[in-house]
Amino acid sequence: MSRETSFTFDGAPMAAVEGQTIAAALIENGVMSWRTTRFGDRPRGLFCGIGVCFDCLITVNGEPNVRACLSAVEPGDDVRTQAGDGHV
Amino acid sequence: MAMSDIAAPTVDVVILGAGAAGVAAAVVAARSGCRVTVIDNGPTPGGQYYRGAPPIDSEPSSGPRDLSYAELRAEFDRLTGSGVIDYRSRRTAYAISRHDDDFVIRLRGDDRHRGEIADFRARAVIVATGAFDRHLPFPGWELPGVMSGGGAQLLVKGSGVIPGQRAVVAGTGPFLLAVSGTLLEHGAHVPAIVEANNPSRFITRASAIRGGLSKSGEFLGYVSRLARHRVPYLHRHRVIEAIGVDRVEAVRIARVDADWRVVEGTDRVIECDALAIGYGFVAQTDLAGQLGAQMVLGADGGLVVDVDPNLSTSVPGLFAAGETTGVGGVEAARVEGLLAGASVADHLGRPPALTRRGLDVVRRDIATWQGFAEALHATFPVRDGWRDQVRDDTMMCRCEEVRAGQVREAIDDLGARDTRAVKLFTRAGMGWCQGRICSSAVDSLCGFGTTQSLGDAAVRPLVVPVPLGALANGQMEG
Repeated sequence: MSRETSFTFDGAPMAAVEGQTIAAALIENGVMSWRTTRFGDRPRGLFCGIGVCFDCLITVNGEPNVRACLSAVEPGDDVRTQAGDGHV
Repeated sequence: MAMSDIAAPTVDVVILGAGAAGVAAAVVAARSGCRVTVIDNGPTPGGQYYRGAPPIDSEPSSGPRDLSYAELRAEFDRLTGSGVIDYRSRRTAYAISRHDDDFVIRLRGDDRHRGEIADFRARAVIVATGAFDRHLPFPGWELPGVMSGGGAQLLVKGSGVIPGQRAVVAGTGPFLLAVSGTLLEHGAHVPAIVEANNPSRFITRASAIRGGLSKSGEFLGYVSRLARHRVPYLHRHRVIEAIGVDRVEAVRIARVDADWRVVEGTDRVIECDALAIGYGFVAQTDLAGQLGAQMVLGADGGLVVDVDPNLSTSVPGLFAAGETTGVGGVEAARVEGLLAGASVADHLGRPPALTRRGLDVVRRDIATWQGFAEALHATFPVRDGWRDQVRDDTMMCRCEEVRAGQVREAIDDLGARDTRAVKLFTRAGMGWCQGRICSSAVDSLCGFGTTQSLGDAAVRPLVVPVPLGALANGQMEG
């Protein structure tokens, strides 16, 4: 029923199930944080889980500030840890 | 560009949100012959409660059977399929305004399509945007692995992933039991449920309400399931610290008194790799607030949209249903949705879809679930003692990384007298989430608690960020 797909996180290949959110796929792969904060450089991951808190922001295919909790994984996504506001 | 130049498709009703309230409202309004557009953040209808779950008939159905959620959802799908309801998933209404007698609703795509914007004009609007978990900051709550109860629930129900192997569930309210049940069902170990209040009175309070017996039965069902899994359900305990370096590795819990003050010498550490936590819910009032709709404090002390007995807000043509009018759970949301759908049709001069008798049943059910919500909030309130566990270095605003010491300084030294002033002095509430997560906690930490203080902090001209380029393009097209 559910089909497997794959993506990369900071270059490392990872498996996911189609329709899963990026946050869920990362947590399933043992990754709990994928952003560092702007001031304290502290790790953050999933918090509110429903699109309200913006803590789970991540960079997807070069586009920063994507909420990992709402966005479904798409095959071949290049997902990367986001530092601060994501603009280098 | 003058507002009158806006050339947008006009519909009778735009419904914001497709949870239990939005689905029910859409079906009733469509039955009356209204042209209905439903805007939903989610990928499928159902909201937070029915996310990922097949629509099975589980309600203690009072009232006609064709008004149960399962029946309504089936009809919603049929009406969507035949084009009577225009259902737009993965869309966010980022702004709403009045224009002549109409409303203009501005939509944005999801985060992967945020440049895709569109406008709608509607003669009437129903706000059914639900609620999100309320948080009370404590040392370490910003560590990865600490998440809201609702978030943990959605992670499992929506994606089939558990947040950790050993997940502590904490906060207050029967929702903790639902979250624990979901985690256990999917193979997680739950070392403890840490409930800050004493839930035993909930049974007597809920059972006293007509129709409430089914809810206390549901509650007892959860409790016995936890007993089978040997999960300790601790009463009058709080998580007072999350411990870990780069992620949560343990939590420190302690017994608290009726005011939630820690009982000295009762603290202990529980190892875990996840903490799901929440202290009730905060209504999503943003869009109604943009239109200047009057707000009021709900039974739980949180800001909600003020409505009359027909669920009309103070803005003519604007209705509200579900958690936005007061946090009361999924059954309350469904029956309020039914009434809002009937009221909007009446407002537009359409023939009623519900019989007088059907409407009476709906009104009676609303009163029942309001009574249930009052029992809920009386049993599971937030008590002031939580502030004592907030150290000066405890993070208050996660976005702007503002600590409690800075907030206290804004009050004591700078003379801030409401949450908006605290925000201006400290930036608490000025970040990405626009204060959704911290402002009710900042307000409570400072002891404000008024409609004005909470309301001013909840003013959000844009609900979500919108790319400037998209706005510019949209205007040129207009």
